[in-house]
Amino acid sequence: MSWESLLLMMPYITVVLLMVIGLFTVLFKKNLIKIIMGITIMQNGANLFLVSLAYRSGEYAPIFTSAESTDMVMPTPHALTLTSIVIGLATTALMLSFTIMIKRHYGSINTEDVRRCKE
Amino acid sequence: MNFDIFVHSPAFILGIPLLFAFLTPLVNRLSEQLRNVVFGIGLVLTAFFVGLMSYQVLTEGSWLYVFGANQPEPQNLLSYFYFRITFVADSFAVLATITISITAVAAGIYSYGFMKDETGLNKFYTLFLLTLAGVNGMVLTGDLFNLFVWFEVTSVASCALVAFRNYRGRSVEAALKYMVLSTVGGLLVLFSIGLMYGQYGVLNYALLTQSISGTFIDKLALGLLVVIFAMKASSAPMHMWAPDAYSEAPGSVTPFIAITSLGSLFVLFRLLFGVIGVNVDPSVSGTLLIILGVLSMIVGVTMALVQTDLKRLIAYLSVSQVGYMMMAVGVGLATLNSADYQNFGTLAMKGGLFHMINDGVYKALLFLSAVAVVHVTDIRSLNKLGGLAHDMPYTTVFFLIGALSIAGIPPLSGFSSKLLIYQSVYLYSPVLAIVALVVSIITLAVVGKAFFNAFLGPDQGLAEKKVPSSMLFGMGLLTVVVIIFTLFPNLIVSEIVSPAVKALVGVMP
Amino acid sequence: MKYEMSRVVRTVTDILVVPIIIFGIYLIIHGHLTPGGGFQGGAVIASSTALLVIAYGSFGKHKKDLSSLESLGLTLFILLALIGMGSTMFYNYISGTGGLFGGTLPSLGINPGYINTGGTITLMNLMVGLEVSAALSLIIWMMSKRSGMMEPEETISPSEEVEK
Repeated sequence: MSWESLLLMMPYITVVLLMVIGLFTVLFKKNLIKIIMGITIMQNGANLFLVSLAYRSGEYAPIFTSAESTDMVMPTPHALTLTSIVIGLATTALMLSFTIMIKRHYGSINTEDVRRCKE
Repeated sequence: MNFDIFVHSPAFILGIPLLFAFLTPLVNRLSEQLRNVVFGIGLVLTAFFVGLMSYQVLTEGSWLYVFGANQPEPQNLLSYFYFRITFVADSFAVLATITISITAVAAGIYSYGFMKDETGLNKFYTLFLLTLAGVNGMVLTGDLFNLFVWFEVTSVASCALVAFRNYRGRSVEAALKYMVLSTVGGLLVLFSIGLMYGQYGVLNYALLTQSISGTFIDKLALGLLVVIFAMKASSAPMHMWAPDAYSEAPGSVTPFIAITSLGSLFVLFRLLFGVIGVNVDPSVSGTLLIILGVLSMIVGVTMALVQTDLKRLIAYLSVSQVGYMMMAVGVGLATLNSADYQNFGTLAMKGGLFHMINDGVYKALLFLSAVAVVHVTDIRSLNKLGGLAHDMPYTTVFFLIGALSIAGIPPLSGFSSKLLIYQSVYLYSPVLAIVALVVSIITLAVVGKAFFNAFLGPDQGLAEKKVPSSMLFGMGLLTVVVIIFTLFPNLIVSEIVSPAVKALVGVMP
Repeated sequence: MKYEMSRVVRTVTDILVVPIIIFGIYLIIHGHLTPGGGFQGGAVIASSTALLVIAYGSFGKHKKDLSSLESLGLTLFILLALIGMGSTMFYNYISGTGGLFGGTLPSLGINPGYINTGGTITLMNLMVGLEVSAALSLIIWMMSKRSGMMEPEETISPSEEVEK
């Protein structure tokens, strides 16, 4: 494998790393804030995946520039990424608000203390 | 330019709940009565447009609604597909939206009486309508990315609804659990959408169906999508969020949260039949669906046996009912490419889809009448309840109808769909039919226990207040629908369910 | 006074808030031509709220107004989409009609980008910007109040668990 092809693979390797780190955090950490951080890391991984899919070597960003329209990349993945960032903001804010409320009710944000539903 | 309101009805089904959702907080600053009226108008108008769309689809056939185009039905489909957002208005979407809107109207009317004492109700109504728009969008949409957007809208709005009574710690805990699962699920959906886009460069269902070839990456994406939507549909190995969320949500939206999981099941079937599944050897994915279904049936009903909390008991029963639909449709999918499909596969599909619309209605009735019991007595434990038939006769009748229907006792509507499932599944594998029958019998035992414990026996004077009339009206509406399904099962199957099966299995418009 | 930061921080905040808001408005208005748009501009405007909250530790009593502004933005957004229903929902009905928003492009291809060519997209960006700036300010405000960064308006007692 040559250096150049490895360089082109870098985004995807990073995506896999981010997804695995995020999933690991969500599954094995006990602190609610850390779980939410893990979800955010996974979000960034998914967004990076979409953006790297859109990359075409030697082509331009699909905005109002002086490039020929045939030299521009398809803007669909960028639209998807923007939407997913907006949704990610909403979900993160909601989960953090839940955590604040849980802290008020239970006095702890450790998942081992937050299990009254099971009783 | 002639304006055809029938053709535009899919856009109104989406637009009206969104508009009224954002209008309610504004109106709330003027007056609270007006806000309630606006909420009611929003619900009824949405149901009205669902009716218009159903009429048009069932008489004229299905069509594709393209957002932002200069005419709703495009002449040259391919040139629109790459950039536009499309909605598919076919008989399957009709089945789904009818189920959703019946439950939504009943739960909305029920909310008037049930939520009267809570504060911040304008947010409650907003979230309610947003969830309605989200579920409708999820079942109507025609491309994968829109599916992700509506999936997340539904998740965020329904999680906020679960946590609405945030003065209870358990509600917030259940909501956070549901939210974490939904968000991780949503990210994996996004990831699998990326996998599909990276290979084929399209996101539209119809174009994907043409281009998918069944590579390893397709199978990976399909596996992720099936697992996530089965999780949202509260199927067995991933059902742990469901009992918590169902029992800790404010009572009047519990059936509505259940409807969001039913909506995910509709989407799962559409993905398996219309988009990806048929290109990836249907017998494998059908067998997977059957396994998940049998597991849900058994796990749900055995967990329901040991519950003493009335709402949790019904929540576990609803998990087991999801199993019936997955099993029946799984049999249809597994036999799709063989001659058996004509012999019993279509019958299984009809049974499964008829059970979905049935289940959406009687489960909502059961939930709402159980919530009425909790509302009146402030007691959830079945060991402490008793003798309520003396004080709440109407609720007793409603609960009895829902309970007999969920247990599949003839002649109620649950029986007719379960009979179709037994008949067809027996021909595929007798073991499955026996499992389904046994689960049905245990369901009868469970609801029988709940009914005897809560309603029969000497009057203990537990009822502290009357059931408000709006709550009775909501339950009465659902009872009327259950009775209609009971009296005319043939009509429902031939007019609504059979076209839905055809639309699901056949090619997309 | 406990929640306020030093005079230097407050003065710099006062100076910075204005350019931040102007930059946000720039991003919103140019949303259809360059990277940016309603959400991004709204988020930039909301960051000025964060700055104010950190520096002053209070944000006045505008919770209801912010909430209404958010709903107003979204209602107008959906209304703008529904007006297009003569053709389809979200149809760009003022594209190419001239005027402040619907100016026509001379030709497709290389051009510097004209600000008045967005049609309904510009209007929708404005509405989304209104909504996002109000909503994010509200989120920042509520969260910092609940987590003790701000002067509490009402006393928050650890609530008694209601168990049924």
